Amino acid sequence: MTTETHIDIAELRKKQPRFNAIDSGHRACLGCGQALGARLVGEAVGPDIIVANATGCLEIFTTPWPESAWRVPWMHSLFENAGAIASGIEAAMRAQGKSTKVVAMGGDGSTFDIGFQALSGMLEREHNVLYVCYDNEAYMNTGVQRSSSTPHAAMTNTSPPGKARMGKRHLKKDIVQIIAAHHTPYAATASVAYPSDLRKKIRRAMEIEGPTFIQIHAPCPLGWGHEGHESIEVERLAVQTGLFPLVELERGELTGVMPIRQQVPVTEYLKRQQRFRHLFAKGDSRAAEELEHIQALADHNIEVYGLRGEGVDRFDTEGSDTVHRGGQRWA
Amino acid sequence: MTILTRANFALPGTSLNYHTGTWRVQKPQHAHASAPCHGVCPAGEDAQAYLAALEEGHPEQAWRILVSANPLPATTGRVCHHPCESACNRGQYDQPIAIHLVERWLGDEAIRHNWAYPVERPKADAPRMAVVGAGPAGLANAYHLLRLGYRVDLFDQLPEAGGTLRTALPPYRLPREVLDAEVQRLLACGIDFHPNKKLGRDLDLDQMRLDYQAVFVAPGLQQGKEWSIDGVVPSDLHSGLDMLRDWISLGVVPKVRSAAVIGGGNTAVDLARILKRAGAAEVHLITHQSLPGDGHPLDVMSAIPREIAQAEEEGVTIHANRGVRRLILRGERVVGIEMVRMKKIDRGAGRPERVAFEGTETVLHVDQIIPAIGQALDADGMHALLGRAAHFHADTWGVSPLEGVFVGGDAREKSGGSVTAAVGDGRRAALAMHRHARGEANPEKEPMAQIIGIESLNLHYYEHAPRPDEPMLPAEQRRGDEEIELGISAEAVRGEAHRCLSCGNCLACDNCWTLCPDSAVLKTREFASDGSHYVFDYDYCKGCGLCAHECPCGYIQMAEDL
Ligand SMILES: Cc1cc2nc3c(=O)[nH]c(=O)nc-3n(C[C@H](O)[C@H](O)[C@H](O)COP(=O)(O)OP(=O)(O)OC[C@H]3O[C@@H](n4cnc5c(N)ncnc54)[C@H](O)[C@@H]3O)c2cc1C
Ligand SMILES: Cc1ncc(C[n+]2csc(CCOP(=O)(O)OP(=O)(O)O)c2C)c(N)n1
Ligand code: SF4
Ligand code: SF4
Ligand code: SF4
Repeated sequence: MTTETHIDIAELRKKQPRFNAIDSGHRACLGCGQALGARLVGEAVGPDIIVANATGCLEIFTTPWPESAWRVPWMHSLFENAGAIASGIEAAMRAQGKSTKVVAMGGDGSTFDIGFQALSGMLEREHNVLYVCYDNEAYMNTGVQRSSSTPHAAMTNTSPPGKARMGKRHLKKDIVQIIAAHHTPYAATASVAYPSDLRKKIRRAMEIEGPTFIQIHAPCPLGWGHEGHESIEVERLAVQTGLFPLVELERGELTGVMPIRQQVPVTEYLKRQQRFRHLFAKGDSRAAEELEHIQALADHNIEVYGLRGEGVDRFDTEGSDTVHRGGQRWA
Repeated sequence: MTILTRANFALPGTSLNYHTGTWRVQKPQHAHASAPCHGVCPAGEDAQAYLAALEEGHPEQAWRILVSANPLPATTGRVCHHPCESACNRGQYDQPIAIHLVERWLGDEAIRHNWAYPVERPKADAPRMAVVGAGPAGLANAYHLLRLGYRVDLFDQLPEAGGTLRTALPPYRLPREVLDAEVQRLLACGIDFHPNKKLGRDLDLDQMRLDYQAVFVAPGLQQGKEWSIDGVVPSDLHSGLDMLRDWISLGVVPKVRSAAVIGGGNTAVDLARILKRAGAAEVHLITHQSLPGDGHPLDVMSAIPREIAQAEEEGVTIHANRGVRRLILRGERVVGIEMVRMKKIDRGAGRPERVAFEGTETVLHVDQIIPAIGQALDADGMHALLGRAAHFHADTWGVSPLEGVFVGGDAREKSGGSVTAAVGDGRRAALAMHRHARGEANPEKEPMAQIIGIESLNLHYYEHAPRPDEPMLPAEQRRGDEEIELGISAEAVRGEAHRCLSCGNCLACDNCWTLCPDSAVLKTREFASDGSHYVFDYDYCKGCGLCAHECPCGYIQMAEDL
């Protein structure tokens, strides 16, 4: 059975019971986690914001000249300066006595690497800005180069596996701790596989006067090497394995975690992605060692953040996205 | 608004001008599938649909959905062997939905609140149909004919309607006030019931064919099957079926100290249980067949497993996989039997054969042997229909060799021998009679959407939760007619509706609406004509398949769209 076609879809679109800060027609890849993440953020921040967007996939796919998918004031300047641009807009708003919240957005490349000093300055100067980082773990927009967020052993175009290395040699930078070390009022991690948790954290950050930071783990089918329809499933595994802990830090202290009800072995997550394909090469002892290494990293995360759940919790990795008739789940 | 010209700018939401739907090579579609509970219900009930209405807080609507297939839910909720629960997808996740208890609760609520059946009284000049036999098959048939707009004359040889439900189902399983209430409410919908009219005595099939648009014949199986051991029968032989009927209608059975009941069906088990209630110290049940869950799947006792378990709780000794070799007589009187172990096994003959194992003979001392090995058709007035066969031969629509005559229920060879099977036969025959009256042909099979298996659901989105326990009357208190199974509370019923996975049908969970990266799923209650609350905006859907993958219920399928 197909749905009726004679209804006025364009009118219906205007009546959706949620705020879409970015609308359809954007040019993101099929199953893009960042496109989903940005829409979820938009739902939670509401219309009264100004966005400062760093160069990267989000900026590119939402604004193909002369169009824009945005429905809020939005500004793009450079790859490296979203933090500075946001600081300036916020200062201007303050000078005019306006309460409009400024939201900075950038990929992991712009956040962890090239835009980091601008971000650090923004935090240090205590601008009233929410900074959202969509962490897809590489420079995706320019064709998948490694960033300091790329996880250990992942393959990118600049960290190819071969005789010398098994993918990226270094570890993923623990950005949220670095942000928290700025004595930031609120810094948290979120995942597009857990939309309710994500929006709850965004709303929390929006309420805070001062700099806040949210790192959203966002699957990239192209860069990670999985099918578009698998984005949520793969992303959920990142959380369930402990490789991407969902945590909240206030003034540097851990104040909340999403407990893992049932820890999943990292291989379940890794084997779904082409970027880790070399770790499953038969007969390569380095591959086996790397798998053990990554498992140890996950176990370490679970230990240091205390992620292991005790029994069943409505807000753990299994309970947080339980569905109910009528959609109350997403409230 | 001042338009800035110095820098690049774009107007809000102008990306809508570009239709990313052109990228698509496959498209998501809502695809209703039948839930397994629906697919296997002999009466044709759609449990998924009424559980959904219940969860939305509309019990009366849930009951209406239920009785759009089966008008006797308070009854079947108590006596059905509920294959729906064996098929329920949730059974592979944790425990199946307690569908029969929900069904029973809805049936009881309808009686309590006197909810009106979804039927209108037939017009005074509506064509007439006749139904012979007021068991579940005939009652269901009459009701569905009424729903289709006919006037219906329902005949039975007995003074009251209900068939075997009334004559042989013990009240501890089916309290008579429940049966009476449900049957009365049903007849009161406008069925013209004519008691004490027997086909072959008061009614003539040929004449009825002239008087009515069509005739449905559902006489059930009213005679106990004959039984002997190599031609030897005890001098004081009683048929199990007759003893059961006497107990139910008169409240008496011959006093015995110890008895062996032969048979593995409901009659044998019920008889064994009433003998216990009547004071027999020892009651043995002897059957060739295996206990449920044991032995060859095609050779399991046909009685309902929970009834077998309750019989054992009440002190009935069951000798499964046992055959009677000979009767031990003292003069003409039975004093015991010789039994032997036997089993159906594969010996390479293509089909399993029953084999008796030498050296396993045992003697059982009893003073009464009661066969309850099955029932046969009382063929009075039906010879033209039956020919020389023991049962009616007819397809699932009940089409008989006699033009305008339809058959169903226990008397139809392939019916299924259960109350719900009889209800299903009655319902389908009503549809066939309607088509016959309009000169239309029957489809080969009843149309049914593809049945969805658990592999098509996304189980991640559900939580484990236990099935409720049904309170039971303790075995030592089961002395007479008190009902044993006590049903579950309204709250537990709602819990079951909540546990239902909504297999193959939209749960309105918002997953697709929430997770589509392209905002190509739009939410609407008014315009989604297919029972969901959502439509796809194909102008923008890129066909990534994420919504289909994350739909918990398997309600979204991707189709090629080149
Ligand atoms: C002891 C016992 C226990 C059972 N337990 C269960 C159970 O737990 N669950 C379950 O699903 N099934 C059970 N069954 C089977 C179930 O009762 C039957 O499958 C069901 O009643 C069949 O319905 P029917 O309408 O075909 O026939 P019946 O219910 O037998 O009704 C046929 C009616 O036709 C009438 N009739 C017959 N001949 C004529 C005639 N010539 N003229 C006029 N009227 C006539 C009869 O008087 C009777 O009222 C049990 C059966 C028995 C005997
Ligand atoms: C100073 C500078 N260096 C390089 C680039 C080229 N460039 C544009 S986007 C991009 C990568 C963006 O990566 P990331 O921030 O991780 O965002 P993603 O595209 O992965 O979302 C690069 C290297 C640039 N625009 N400016
Ligand atoms: S879970 Fe619900 S819809 Fe699915 S088979 Fe069981 S009762 Fe039917
Ligand atoms: S998730 Fe959205 S874009 Fe992907 S197939 Fe479904 S409706 Fe289309
Ligand atoms: S994802 Fe949820 S809301 Fe969407 S079609 Fe499936 S059951 Fe319905």
